[in-house]
Amino acid sequence: MNRGVLLKSIREVWLASLLFGLGFFVFEALLAFVFPTFFNEMAGPLLNLPFFRNIIRALLGAEVGDSLGPKVLGSLAWVHPIALIIVAGHEIVFCTRVPAGEVDRGTMDVLLALPVSRWQMYVSETIVWLGTGVVVLIMGVVGCLLGGSSVAPENRTELSLLVCIVANLFCLYLAVGGLAFLVSTLSDRRGRAIAVVFALVLSSYFLNVLAQYSHIAEKIAFLSILHYYKPFAIMQNSGWPAKDMLVLAGCGAVLWTAGGIIFARRDICTS
Amino acid sequence: MSLITIEQLTKRYGSRLGIDRLDLTVSEGTVHGFLGPNGSGKTTTIRVLLGFLRASAGRASVFGLDCWSASRLIKSEVGYVSGDLRLHTWMTGRTALQIVGQARGRDLAQKGAELADYFGLEMTVKVVRMSRGMRQKLGLILALVHEPKLLILDEPTTSLDPLAQERLYDHLRTMARNGHTVFFSSHVLSEVEDLCDRVAILRAGQLVADETIERLRERAPRTVTIRWKPGENAEPPTPPGMLDLRRKIGRVWECDLTGKVTDLLAWLADRSIEDIEISRPNLESLFRQYYRGGDT
Repeated sequence: MNRGVLLKSIREVWLASLLFGLGFFVFEALLAFVFPTFFNEMAGPLLNLPFFRNIIRALLGAEVGDSLGPKVLGSLAWVHPIALIIVAGHEIVFCTRVPAGEVDRGTMDVLLALPVSRWQMYVSETIVWLGTGVVVLIMGVVGCLLGGSSVAPENRTELSLLVCIVANLFCLYLAVGGLAFLVSTLSDRRGRAIAVVFALVLSSYFLNVLAQYSHIAEKIAFLSILHYYKPFAIMQNSGWPAKDMLVLAGCGAVLWTAGGIIFARRDICTS
Repeated sequence: MSLITIEQLTKRYGSRLGIDRLDLTVSEGTVHGFLGPNGSGKTTTIRVLLGFLRASAGRASVFGLDCWSASRLIKSEVGYVSGDLRLHTWMTGRTALQIVGQARGRDLAQKGAELADYFGLEMTVKVVRMSRGMRQKLGLILALVHEPKLLILDEPTTSLDPLAQERLYDHLRTMARNGHTVFFSSHVLSEVEDLCDRVAILRAGQLVADETIERLRERAPRTVTIRWKPGENAEPPTPPGMLDLRRKIGRVWECDLTGKVTDLLAWLADRSIEDIEISRPNLESLFRQYYRGGDT
C-alpha cells in the first residue's frame, strides 16, 4: 500500500462513489416503501398473472410458489436490474481506472515514475475500491431501513436478513470487481475494458434469467456469477448462503490475483 | 563511477526491434545527452531504465540495481519527466505536490513552492486550466522537487517558452555541479551542444556514437559556401571527397567540409571563385550525418 496512491485514488473517486451510493440509497428506500405498502393492490391483479410471476421467478432465480408475501417481495429490491446496475456500474467504473484508464489517458507515466511497486499500486487501488464499495452498499442498507420504517413492522425486512443479503451482494461485488481488475490489466483502452466487463456481466445476468425457462441454460447456469447471489433464498431460509458466498469471494480472489500478476509483469507503454 | 549501465540491451515489440544490443554507461555528475531521430529507441531505452518496459535481452541497471526487479528502489532517487506529459486534469499543482510527497514519504511543500517560484508557475490552478507549457513546468517541478540523484528527461523542453528553457538549463547545470546526474533526451541539437558533457546517438535502435562534446566538435564538419565566378570552366563538375555538396543554387555551392580547411584552400587555389565563407565546426551537421546514417 502507498499513501500517495491512496490519496490520489480517494480524491479521484469520492464524488462518483457518493453519487452511486445516493442512487442506491434512493432506489432501495423507494422499493422498501413501495413493495410492502402496495402489496395488496399488486398481489391480486398483477402477481397472479403468469407473465409477472415468470418475471419475478427470473429475477429471484427461484419458483416463488405461494410464499410470495410483502417481505419476500422486498428481496426483489436487491435483485432488481437497477440495483445490480448501480452496484456493478460503480465497480466497473472504478476498477477499470487502473491501469487501463491511466494508460489510455497517458497519466500512467506519472504514477509509474513514483517509487511505488506495481503491487503496491494495485493493492492501494483495491483498498479504495473495497472501501467505497462498502460505503455504497451501506447506503443501500440505510435506504432500505429508512424506506421500510414507514411500513408495518411485520412487513419490514429484518436487519439480520438484510445483513445476510448485503454480505452476499458484497461477495458478488468482489467477483465482478476481480473480473474488472483482470480485464483492466489486460487492456490499454478503458472503453474497451468497460465494454468487455459489462458484456460479461450482462451475459451472466441473462444466463441466470434464462436458466428459469430453459433446461440447457439451467445446466450451465453455474457459470453465471449471479447464480450464487440469492436474496430470495436468504429470505426464505433465514440463513447465510455460505457456499455461494465462498464461490463468489473465491472467484473474485482468483481473478484479482491474476490481474495483479499480469499488472506486475506486463510492459506499460502510454505512447 | 557509472550511474547507468546498459549492456547488450534489446527490446522487441513483437517482430519489431525497439533497441538492438545497446551498450551505454552514464557517469555520475554529468549531463549526458541522448539523441536520435524519431523511432530510434530513445524513449524505449528510458522506459526500460524506469521499469515501465521489461528488456527482451541484455541488462540495464541504475545505481547498480536491476531496472526491472529493483524499479521501486531506483525510482526513490530518480526524477523523470517526458515531453508528452499528461497529468490528471482534476489536480492543482499543490495537490500534485501533496500526492507525490505522500508517495515519496517526504514533505515536499517548501521545496515545491521554491521551484514553482523559480519557474513562474501558479500552483493553485487546476491542470485542466493549464496551458501545455504550464503542465510541462509542473511536470518538471514534480521531477525535481525531491532533488533526485539521477534526473531522466525525455525531450523536456518541447513546450517550454525560451525563458523557462533557460531557467531549466541553469538548474540542470547547477545540479550537475552539485554531483547530480542528468540523462537528457532531446531533438534540439543546440541545447544538447550547450548543455551536455557527453552525447550518445541512437539510430534504428543501435548506438552509433557515444563521445564527449569536445571530441565531437573536433570531428564536426564546417559549413562552406562557395560562389563561383561566372564563365565557362570556373565551376568544376564534381566536388572533391572532402566536400559534401548539400545544395546547389545557380553558381553557389552549400557544402559540409569533412576534411581540413588547408586542403580545401589548396584545392581552391587554382580555381576561379568569387567568394567563400567557412563556418565554425557545426555539430548539427555531424548529428545530421549520424541521423542519416552517413559515414562519419
